[in-house]
Amino acid sequence: MAGADKAIAAGAMPLTGWWQRKRTRDLMLVVCFLLPSLTIFFLYRVLPLAWNGLLSLQYWSPLKPARWAGLDHYEEMLLYDDVFWQALTNTLIFIAVSPLAIALALGIALLVNGNLKGAAIYRSIVFLSYPLMTVAVGVIWRWMYDERGGIINFALRESGLIGKPIPFLQSFEWALPSVIAAEIWQVLGFYMIIILTGLQSIPPHLYEAASIDGAPRWAQFGRITLPLLRPSLFLCAVVGILNSFTSFDLVYIMTNGGPGHATELLITYIYKSGFGQTKFDYAAALTVVQFMLLLALTYLANLLAGGNAGALQRR
Amino acid sequence: MSRRRTYLRHSVLIGICAAMLLPFYWVLKTAVTNENIYAYPPRLLPENPHLFNFVDVWYFIPFPRYLMNSLIVSALVVAGNIAFNAMAGYALTKSFPAKRAVLLLFLSCMLIPFQATIIPAYLITSQLGLLNSYLGLALPLLSTIVCIFVFKAAFEAVPQSLIDAARIDGLSEWRIILRVLLPLSKAAIATNVVLAFIWSWNAFLWPLIITREPTMQTLPLGLARFLSYLEDTTGALYAFAVMVLAPSIFVFLMAQKEFIRGLASGATKG
Repeated sequence: MAGADKAIAAGAMPLTGWWQRKRTRDLMLVVCFLLPSLTIFFLYRVLPLAWNGLLSLQYWSPLKPARWAGLDHYEEMLLYDDVFWQALTNTLIFIAVSPLAIALALGIALLVNGNLKGAAIYRSIVFLSYPLMTVAVGVIWRWMYDERGGIINFALRESGLIGKPIPFLQSFEWALPSVIAAEIWQVLGFYMIIILTGLQSIPPHLYEAASIDGAPRWAQFGRITLPLLRPSLFLCAVVGILNSFTSFDLVYIMTNGGPGHATELLITYIYKSGFGQTKFDYAAALTVVQFMLLLALTYLANLLAGGNAGALQRR
Repeated sequence: MSRRRTYLRHSVLIGICAAMLLPFYWVLKTAVTNENIYAYPPRLLPENPHLFNFVDVWYFIPFPRYLMNSLIVSALVVAGNIAFNAMAGYALTKSFPAKRAVLLLFLSCMLIPFQATIIPAYLITSQLGLLNSYLGLALPLLSTIVCIFVFKAAFEAVPQSLIDAARIDGLSEWRIILRVLLPLSKAAIATNVVLAFIWSWNAFLWPLIITREPTMQTLPLGLARFLSYLEDTTGALYAFAVMVLAPSIFVFLMAQKEFIRGLASGATKG
């Protein structure tokens, strides 16, 4: 290889053949370099998506040959499956709470932005929970909510707010809010970092100009900060939507969808139908519904962000 | 006025940080607690803190085995990510026919969360005969689109004149990548190492689906298993949680900057 290149550089070969061969060789290189990644994405993204769609239209189980089912699974899901509706509602609640978490993160980001002493330490502490293993986070929060050993019940009882301990994760009305609180605890730092990155990319002279023109702080926030943060807030919103998928680990560990189906998410229901009851075909139909939901909500968030989500790709 | 404002800001932030750290404190306190952890009222400070729980975890459950599995899978994932993402990132800096189609494919794959593919992904892995294997555990994570773009950006930032100079000096394409481009892209490599490690270390759903034998299980599965089988009154479960969290906290504190750079370029969980 090296020898051939030297020869090329020295111009030892006739020009036309050289050009031709270098081009094909470059193309070969590109193909070989892309091949591993493309294979992985084909095997674990594209093919599953297509297969999933097909599977949702069939009667299929590992031991039986496939039969065409048409929209039977969807009909069963939408008309007769109460658990599906419960899981869908819970998933939507999960997503609907994320703007609150994002607003909270925006507040923290504004507090640690600028030249505050120790800002880096505050930032690290708030962010610390995000990269942690969600299974361990679930174990920790189960213990925080525990009836006897948990500090939350202890604090509430000591302060006299409640007389009897609340079994947070075993109660129908408290289980979902409790899981969501743990989820927010974990993801808050991520939102904060994204918003901070956005804040730091706002040119300071805009604020200077606004101050000279006599604009009050809140007007500067509404007219400069928020509009320029739109791409960051969009990314946060997309992550909030995706979290309804990725929170499988947390729900599985903290409540496993219980009590009853009070904390069932679509993703936990998909797992239970597919791998608990080996109804792969039905689980595939559930997956299609959740994926469509994800696409629709992402599209909606993009519209709300002003339709320029492509701005995220500027990096 | 301004001074009072600063104090107020600090006190609000200290309050928030205390709330964020409380769960860590509570689990750490429980992990070193000696007596019955279900006693009421719980003590706020550990009495006679000791490390027996950690020893218990090491010896009475196959912790070393889980740890080894986790480390092997993480090593595979990190190595695969560096190699494949750097290769793909380099290819994307070249111009070639159908480049737009490949870029479009990558960007649309980013929209498909892994969790939305679990059923066919399981069936495909079983067709490949990779259930219960390290390769099967690592395979879906071996390349990451976000990190491909991180590498692409890093390679594009290398001045073209430098590459031309290397070419005139007679370096082959491979040598240019290994001797010129990669050494100048250390930040991209670090970002990719950190993200790939954290992703594979924390992965739960995929190992849960494709490993049936306890000997192939990774740490998160071991923890979940411990939770469901051994609900006892000692702090061993929480010692386990602490031991599992420690490596990722360590990696995060060592490489916070790289991690955050990765997230800011659009990388999310899984």
